[in-house]
Formats: sequence, structure tokens, C-alpha cells
Amino acid sequence: MFEWLFKYPRDEFTHGEFVFASTWPQWVLVAAFLAGAVAIVSFLLRRREMGGLKLAAIGALQLAMLALALFILWEPSLVVRSLKAGENAIAVMLDTSESMGFTEGEQTRMQQAQAALGSDALGRLGKDYALRRFVFARDASATEDYSTLPAPGTETALAGSLLQVLRQARTSAVGAVVIVSDGGENAGTLDQEQLAEIASLGVPVHTIGVGREKVPEDLELQEVLAPERTLPGTTLSARVTVRHDGAGVARLKVYDGDKFLASREITLPADGTVTTAFVDFGLQEPGFRDLNFSLDGKEGEAELRNNARATVVEVPQEPSRILYVEGEPRWEYKFMRRALDDDASVRLVSLLRVSPNGFYRQGIDAPQELQKGFPTDAKELFKYDALVIGNVQAAWFTPEQQQMIADFVSERGGSLMMLAGSSGLGDGGWGKSIVGELLPAQLPADGPSFRRERAAVVVTARGSRSPMLRLSDDDAENARLWGSLPELADYQTLGALKPAANSLLNVKIGDRQQPLLVTQLYGRGRSWILATGGTWRWQMGLPVADQRHEAFWRQLARGLVADTPERFQVTARSQGDTVLLRAELRDEAFKPQQGVTVTAVATRQAGEPLTVDLRPSADQPGVFEAEVPAAESGLFSVEALARRGDQTLATTRMAMRHESGRAEYFSVRQNRPLLEQLAQATGGRYWTADQLDGLPEAIRYSAAGVTQQEIRALWNMPALFLVLLLLKAGEWLLRRRWSVV
Amino acid sequence: MFTRRGIRVLGMLTGVAAVGLCAASWSQQAQEFLYGSGPLKPSEFHFTRLAYQGRNGVGIGRRGRWLTDWPEAEEHLLGGVHRLTRIDAGEQGRAVSLMDDELFDYPWLYAVEVGYWYLDETEAARMRDYLLRGGFLIVDDFHGSREWASFVDSMQRVFPDRPIVEIPQADPVMHVLYDLNERVQIPGLGAVMSGVTYERDGTVPHWRGIYDDQGRLMVVMDFNMDLGDAWEHADTPYYPEKYTALAYRYAINYILYSMTH
Repeated sequence: MFEWLFKYPRDEFTHGEFVFASTWPQWVLVAAFLAGAVAIVSFLLRRREMGGLKLAAIGALQLAMLALALFILWEPSLVVRSLKAGENAIAVMLDTSESMGFTEGEQTRMQQAQAALGSDALGRLGKDYALRRFVFARDASATEDYSTLPAPGTETALAGSLLQVLRQARTSAVGAVVIVSDGGENAGTLDQEQLAEIASLGVPVHTIGVGREKVPEDLELQEVLAPERTLPGTTLSARVTVRHDGAGVARLKVYDGDKFLASREITLPADGTVTTAFVDFGLQEPGFRDLNFSLDGKEGEAELRNNARATVVEVPQEPSRILYVEGEPRWEYKFMRRALDDDASVRLVSLLRVSPNGFYRQGIDAPQELQKGFPTDAKELFKYDALVIGNVQAAWFTPEQQQMIADFVSERGGSLMMLAGSSGLGDGGWGKSIVGELLPAQLPADGPSFRRERAAVVVTARGSRSPMLRLSDDDAENARLWGSLPELADYQTLGALKPAANSLLNVKIGDRQQPLLVTQLYGRGRSWILATGGTWRWQMGLPVADQRHEAFWRQLARGLVADTPERFQVTARSQGDTVLLRAELRDEAFKPQQGVTVTAVATRQAGEPLTVDLRPSADQPGVFEAEVPAAESGLFSVEALARRGDQTLATTRMAMRHESGRAEYFSVRQNRPLLEQLAQATGGRYWTADQLDGLPEAIRYSAAGVTQQEIRALWNMPALFLVLLLLKAGEWLLRRRWSVV
Repeated sequence: MFTRRGIRVLGMLTGVAAVGLCAASWSQQAQEFLYGSGPLKPSEFHFTRLAYQGRNGVGIGRRGRWLTDWPEAEEHLLGGVHRLTRIDAGEQGRAVSLMDDELFDYPWLYAVEVGYWYLDETEAARMRDYLLRGGFLIVDDFHGSREWASFVDSMQRVFPDRPIVEIPQADPVMHVLYDLNERVQIPGLGAVMSGVTYERDGTVPHWRGIYDDQGRLMVVMDFNMDLGDAWEHADTPYYPEKYTALAYRYAINYILYSMTH
């Protein structure tokens, strides 16, 4: 019908460029229309007895006819650029990853793909263009035909493989790419940067999706996010993402090796396909804990391998050390110390100004520690993992010490927490100091901001999800526990929050709230403000058995030190059958160390331990890298040693879960959104395997490759004459109805 | 020892307590009579006097032994605290009874002449709760075996299972700011006037205490001594300065200990 009315297929209009073929200038067209319009209006004005409405209707129809007639006279046309038959190639890419072996009904995805490749549409493509065939999983490789396929790949790098093919095509006339796949990209190669690079090459990519988009009988544990490190006894909150098609309840279980840790039921809504939930648990034993998360299978679920994921969390043996500098004796100091006294994972080292000339030190390791007061040397300060500054004026610290405090956060990667006080925060001049720059809020300097007035604390939405502020696993109970705390003894007003800052707790003053516990990342570390010195009222105001005050300080202290980097640390990342190692080595002042040798002994799930030398990174000082082959999935641990000559500088350990070949089990559903995104970004289209008739025509209008230009006349389209006829007939009918000539 | 000002206030308290005990909390009324009706400036630390009822059913305010040495003792001592430490201490003292709601806002308590105090089961339970939450109690100015027995009678209701022990010399309370290695009996003014340093049969001074499960002192007992008199008579020419100086040092160490442990 479209083609009968408009003479040409829809794609020609989509891809063609509209022009007027007439040699008459277009201003003449406008002038002719205006002259005709004046004549029509003048003529109709002489017939005022018809009435305004009737005149307007007749006039509008006549003007439309005039416009259409002039439009036809100026020869409207389409300029269409299309691939030249016989001079272009089309790249056809067939996904041969393991997920293409999933059986759906009586056919595997690969059989569906083969059927699509053998369809008439592909046959027609082959007549006009040379077909270059590729297979891909982790990499793309050319093939003569698809009768013999390589072994199924254990990973799908869709974008990486496509880029390989497109780069090869730069030297030849490739008009388009056709990809037959389930879209199960799992190599992490398709990010916005890759997509932009693919689109910039200008070759339309047409994607043919195979596989079911919804699999109601399957549950998939799509993602587990847990911190890499936690302190013994800390409540850990792991975020799990479940993929599902349909409503139900999924039971998630967490194990440390074989030891059961926690379970929770996750309600899966009918209107969602991805549900996120949190599961809380604690780890007591130090070491690298091998955590396994698994979802109970659904009835009739065929693929259970995508119901489980594993991750490793380090529980350090040595306690982290927090330096707390306090300018005057106060109850917050006492009760914070008490709360942390029984926590073996954190040691609070405190330096308290008890008198104008005297310090009192607690929690020190040696008599010399902090003997002369606050450290004057970065090496001494950077031994601590976090720094708490209480009711102390900024001016009490020398400019060099203030710079060290700033460097403690930005360079060393430690946490800094400032407490409220009559000489703290804004009232202590911190807003004008270099340290003020890294704090998460502006500090007012216009008069006293510290108030010894009672105020209730309110946990914010973000705070209620933070493991640091969880007083109960149950959300409602957590809210109740926060809401029933005694009022704080005091608070301090803050200025505006910095753009990257978040408030986890607020304080309620009359009808309004203001931030109380605020944090932001800064450099390699994090800064905090706790705008009160009066949480001690929670301890004194609650029964002895109530542990909320203790829990608050223990969890907050652990949160302060949880992400503080070590001087020497190794991280690892799986990439197919390889593990990429990255070591970072810093000296005691946390400056990158160079001119050293870093060696790692890698212990894999299978095979002998492997010793590798890490090479210095070309662009990042103090960073060393290596690749370790690891074909088997499982626990992967590393012991690394940094040396300068024969002198050992530092040692460290790490462990991780290496997953090789499991990624394909997590592609049970066709990833149609990804295939559509790829096609849309490149000017191609997404096709289903059973509706490919329009594919050859769509490919014909590609601007890539060798093209030809054709002009299609539009003036004689039946649609135009039909409209002209309808306009004239309409006028005639109206005149007849109104009995006017 | 009573001063004239103290006796005047006692008289007022006795009269008003009879009619007004039910209207507002005891500490609110006491504050008003002791320090006037104007707002008191809040500070981090307050010298907080424990108002207790005496033995034989003598109620708070009737005999007022808990007010002994008031107000000069705290006024003088707080001057020393201001001068010698960085504690943000209120210029005036406070008073609170065990059954007041405000009790838990004052983590430091001073009880004087505790040889005459009496804590019933309810008050003892309240004191136990206060101390276990982190409160700190100093008891002072009680002498001889009879007053000790009287004191212990109530204290054992507070902690039936916790022993009262001598505070060892190495305990941090003796070293927080001042190293108090010298154990000197600090006498009351009456004893000094009599030419001795003790009262009744309390010839040997004792620094005793009760510890919590973590080894932290909850209660400090200056037995057979009168630190309150030493603070009160800091400006009395015939009270020996050396006792006042030492009493200040003990008090400052007690306060600092209570704010750090």
C-alpha cells in the first residue's frame, strides 16, 4: 500500500534526501504562492454574504490546492544513496559462544541462527554483495562457511569482536555488518566509549537476535557486590541483584566456605525483571573468606549454574589504628573510648590536652608514641588508618601539620573525621584552613555555631542503607531504633554541603533538619563531619543492656578504616583465562616507590604455584603489573614481595575468586536491549530471526562502502493526485451543501 | 562543716521542700534555691552534688548533710579546675538526687558525709544503673568504723557482689595529670583545729574503690579524709595550704579520670 501510494519503499524515504528538481528558483515558488493567495483572498472577499466561517473553509481548501499544485510543478524528488551491487561486501558475524548451545523448545540457539543464515533474505544479500563470514566469541575469526564451527567459546566479547572486524574492513568496501547473536556480552567490552568508537567507523550494524527474551522458569544471580575488606565482627551488607521474569519469592543463602552465614527471602515483583536486595552477615575469623551466594532453584529450572556466585572478602588480623586528637576532656571522648574498648578490630590511640601544658595519651603501643604531641612528620602520622579531630582549634596545628592532615586524606588515603565543639569545625577556624577544603561541608565563620542544646537525630534515606548505621537487619526495626534514641547533648551548624557530599544522619531542630553526619570522597581517602560532641547521652540515657551507642561507634570506626589502603597492596582482575595483577607500592610517606622489583607467587585452583615478576607500569609511578594464566575457576591467591636489591621492602597477600568459563551460564535470556542499542548507535536495525525479509533492502541504503546516487521523482506519486482530488471534491461538496457558486 | 550561707539555704529548702516536692523535680527546685531562678549556663562538666536522704528516714533537705561545705567547696575547686585544666567546667555546681530524671545528664557525682546516707532498694538500683552506664561517684568526708559500716550498708545494696578494694598506686586515677605517689591524710578543719589529722577512730586514710568488669573505677572513696573541707577552706588562713593543694590534685585527677575512662 505504502509503495502504491508513494511509488517507493519506506526505506527510500528514511534514507533519501528531499530536493526540488526544477531549475526554477525556490523564491519564485514562494512568490507564486503569495500572489495566488492574494488573488484567492481578494476574490473571496467579494462574496462576504457567504459568511466568515464558510469563506474561511473554502479559502483554506483553495490555498491548499494552490500549494500542492505549485509543489508538484517544482518537481519534488528524493536523492537516494545506495550500495552498488557487486562492488561491496557484507560482514556476517555468527556468535559461537557457549550460550548459543542453550536449547529452547526443540532447537538450540545455534540452530535458530543457522536457519536465519540460510534464509531467503541472506540468500538475496549474497547475490548482490560478497559475504565475508566470521565467527566470534572472545575474538572474531574469518571462516569460509558455517558448516564447521569452532568449539564453543567460554566468553562473549561482542564489542571487541565487532571492532576487530570493522578495523579489518577499513581497507575494503564493507557496506554493513550483520551479527547473529543472543547478545550475551560478558567480557565487559561494551561500554559507552566502545560504542562511540564503533559508531564512529560509520558502518551500519544490523543485529539478528536469537534466544528467548523471557525465561519465567529461570532465576539468575546477576550480581553480588560486597566490600573487599571488612573487620572481624563487622556487619557486612552485600548487595545482590536477581534477574527474573515474573513474580515470586527467592531464597538467598550465604556461606563462608561450607559454613552457613545468613539467608533471606527476596520478594520478586511481577512488574520488574531485575530486583536488588541486601543481605547482612558478619565475619569473625581473620583471613581471606571465600563467600558463596546461592539462590534456591525454581521448580522446573534447567540452568542452575547461574544461581550462584562467589566472592572473597579479606578479614585482616591486625587491628586498624585510629588517632583521636582531642583539645579538652569531655564526655564524648570517654564514651567513645569505652564503646571501642571491646572492639578487637580497631585500636583508638588518643592524644588529649588535659591541661594547658599537658597531654594524656591512651591506647599507645610504646612510651615514645605521641610523646611530643601531634606528629610533625608525615611518616609518623601516616601509620594511622584514620584521624579524628575533636574540639581543637585549627591554629593549634602548625601550617605544616595542617598540610599533613590534608595529605593524610588525599595522598595516604586515610579517613578524617571532625567532631563538633566550641573550638571545633567553624568555631575553631577550620573553614579557613587548608583542611576545610577537603571537608564535606562549608563551615560558617560568622559567629558561634556550636550549641549546647538537646536535639534529636534522624537517619536519612541514604544513612538507613549504610552498613555503618544499621542497628537492625530489619528496616522497620532499624528506623524504630534510630527514632527512639535519647536526644544529643549538643550540635553544631554547618554550611552548605559540598557537591559530592552525602548526609547520613540529620539533626532535628524545631521543624527543620540539618546535616549531622556528612561524608565525601577526597583524593584517595574520605572526609567526615560528625557535627556533635553529644552522642554520650545515648549511653547514659539508655539501659545498660542497650548497645546502640556502642554499635554506632564501632560501626562508624570500622567504616572509617575499612577502605584505607595499605602501603603495599595487590589487586587482581579476571580476564578470560588470565588474571591481571596490579601492585601498588608506596614509601612511608605514601609517595610512589620506583626502582624496585616486585615478585608475586600466584596459587591457582589447579597447577603448581607460579612465580611472576611484575613489570613497572609505563604511565603510573609505583604501579606494577603482570598477567597470570589461570584456566581453572576457583580461589586465586597471591603473595607479593617488593625488593630493592637484596633488601625486602614490603610483603603483602591477596586472594580472589577467578571465574573462567562460567560467564556463559549467565546468558540464559537474549539480551535484546544490547543488540538494539548496538544497531541504533550505528544506523542499523535489530531483527528477529523469523522476520528478515526487509534486511536486504535496509542494507542497500548504507552510506558505507561503494555507493551510487539515484534521483527518484516524487511529483507523479499517486498520493499527491489523490490529495489534490480530495481537496477539489471537498470544495465542490461544501459549495453544493451551502448552495453557493 | 556548715557555713552561715549554707545554714540559711538549708532553712529555705526545709520549708519549701515540704510544699513543693510534688510540683517539679527535686533537682529543679534545689537548683533554684541554691543558685537562683535565672538560666544556668550549660557546660561540659558540672560539679554535681548528690542529694541523698539521711538515715532513720530523714528526707532530703531536712538535715542536709549532703550540702556540707556547700557552696565554697565547689566554688573554690572549680576555680582550680578552670585554672589548671582545659575542662569546660560550669562556674557553679549542680545538685541532683538519684530519682531525678536529670541524673543521667551528669556523669560525675560528689557525695559528702556518706556515713549518714541511706539508699533504699529503689535508689540503690538507680545508683547501680547510673554507675554501670558510665557514671562516676566520689564519696568523701566519712570517718571511722561506724560511719564506714553505715556507708557500706547502702553501698552493698548498690553492688552486692562487687568488692570494695584499695586503689593500687599504679592505677591511672593516681596519674592522669598529677602523679600522686604520696598518700597523705587530708583532714577536716575541725581535726586540724584539734591538732590531729583524723576524726573518730579513722586514723589511717584509705583510697578505696569499686571497679567495673573492664577494670575501670566507678566509685572512689576518700575514707577517713575530708577533701571537701580542704577545698572549702582554701581561703582559710589557718587551714594548711599543703592539704588544700593535695586535695585539689586528687579532685582534678578524679575528674580527669572520670572523663577519660
